[in-house]
Amino acid sequence: MAEKSLPKINKIDQPFWQGAAEGKLLIQKCRACGKLQFFPRVVCTDCFSRELDWVQARGEGKVHSFSWVFVPRNPAFKEEVPICYATIILEEGVIVESRVVGEKAKAVKIGDKVKVVFQETASPEIKLPVFELAG
Amino acid sequence: MRRRKVCLVGYGSTEYSRKSEEPLLRHYAQAIGAALDQTGLKKSEIQGFSVTTQASPDYSPHVAEQLGLELDWVLNGDYGGAGGVTSVRRAADAIEAGHIDVAVLVGGNSFDKSVVHQRPLEYQRANYVDVYGYGGPNTLMALVQRRHMEQYGTTLEQIGKIAVTQRENARLNPQALLRDPMSLEDYLKSRMISDPIRLFDCVMPCSGAECVVLASEERARSITDKLVYLVTDAEKINYQVANMLPDKTTFGIKVVGDRLFADVRREQIDLFELYDDYPIAVMIQIEDLGYCGKGEGGKFVESHDLSFKGNFPVNTGGGELSVGQAGLAGGFLHIVEALRQLRGEAGPRQMKKAERALVTGIGWLSYGRNLGTTAGLIMERRA
Repeated sequence: MAEKSLPKINKIDQPFWQGAAEGKLLIQKCRACGKLQFFPRVVCTDCFSRELDWVQARGEGKVHSFSWVFVPRNPAFKEEVPICYATIILEEGVIVESRVVGEKAKAVKIGDKVKVVFQETASPEIKLPVFELAG
Repeated sequence: MRRRKVCLVGYGSTEYSRKSEEPLLRHYAQAIGAALDQTGLKKSEIQGFSVTTQASPDYSPHVAEQLGLELDWVLNGDYGGAGGVTSVRRAADAIEAGHIDVAVLVGGNSFDKSVVHQRPLEYQRANYVDVYGYGGPNTLMALVQRRHMEQYGTTLEQIGKIAVTQRENARLNPQALLRDPMSLEDYLKSRMISDPIRLFDCVMPCSGAECVVLASEERARSITDKLVYLVTDAEKINYQVANMLPDKTTFGIKVVGDRLFADVRREQIDLFELYDDYPIAVMIQIEDLGYCGKGEGGKFVESHDLSFKGNFPVNTGGGELSVGQAGLAGGFLHIVEALRQLRGEAGPRQMKKAERALVTGIGWLSYGRNLGTTAGLIMERRA
């Protein structure tokens, strides 16, 4: 029986998952050039600085694109279909991939405002940042 | 433009099947054997050898050992769907440099259960994509397609026309697994997989292999009188990687196209073998290659005949959408079909004039953006 996929937390992204467990959406900020980026990496993708700080994003953004998933790659997710998989542009100007959840998600459109919420998983230490339609 | 002359001198294909558990090695051997028969080359004349696959034990030196090949050059041409074109580029570089005169490139897939066929997901896919229950590449391309439809008003009918026309081409291709007629209505009514991607937007995984043989011009003249030259080729890896607000509807193929068309004029191309993991990807490549403006792909498709008899022939053998996708052999399928057309060996779907072909490969949908690997080449038949 397949289990729902969970992140394999590593030394690069441990702070991100620690933040998520505490209800914070953390993204990386380059100490040298100020660039913000996601997903977590070992260098700034602009200037190659290895000095990166973690900053808390407001957790607000807009739906950039979305797809209703009927056939998940991992069959363990089948019980949840259709799943609204989406790209979100955070207010800070960074694209992230996540889900749009909640009752109102059925009417989701590109450009809709969303806000992060943190979803429980099978692991007590891991919470997943997902998004709900705002307002 | 290639500094020295390199030719594509032959090819070999296996039959495709849906669920065959035949060992992948047998598929490789069959495709390579067909290419050796066509070119008259002996096994001992293979100096360079490349394998393109996601089957994990198939590291190319190991495959070569099992096939009894002693070599002077070896490559794992594993760059997703771009692996066919990029392998040709690497082999052509080695021939230009004088390291080898003959290279055999093979790609394939099987459902042999004794072999692991997929690599583990890379870190960003595992930790930031798969955890949300995504539907694999179908979902990631669905995000691209929805953006294209929203930004430019592209319709499902326009996208579907690509799949429908390729099916018409496939009806004359005995290798194609999907040869039944398909109407636009069939396309529109096909089962939803990852909205707006439907079943007939997706390739059918299958087993089989494709092989391509390259040689220096001097050597090529002793192998065949059907000389097909590699004229120019280019690649772009991780286009827009540092852009946190990427344009999802433009691929690295835009940069590839600019480089290719520095050497050849757009109107000199007779046929287009564009990597077709999805019809929307074909439409976007037509835009990125500059045959119409960004966002005008829908209207372009509507106003052109994409069949092998048409005024803008695309995927004349049916493409991966109708032939089937034998894993990373998919990147080679387009090269082999271009060779068939340029050599006049395409049978009932042979084009009247096929002197120059443009072939692309695209692969690996990356985080937040679109294609991680993109590549293209132009080949030309000369007397």
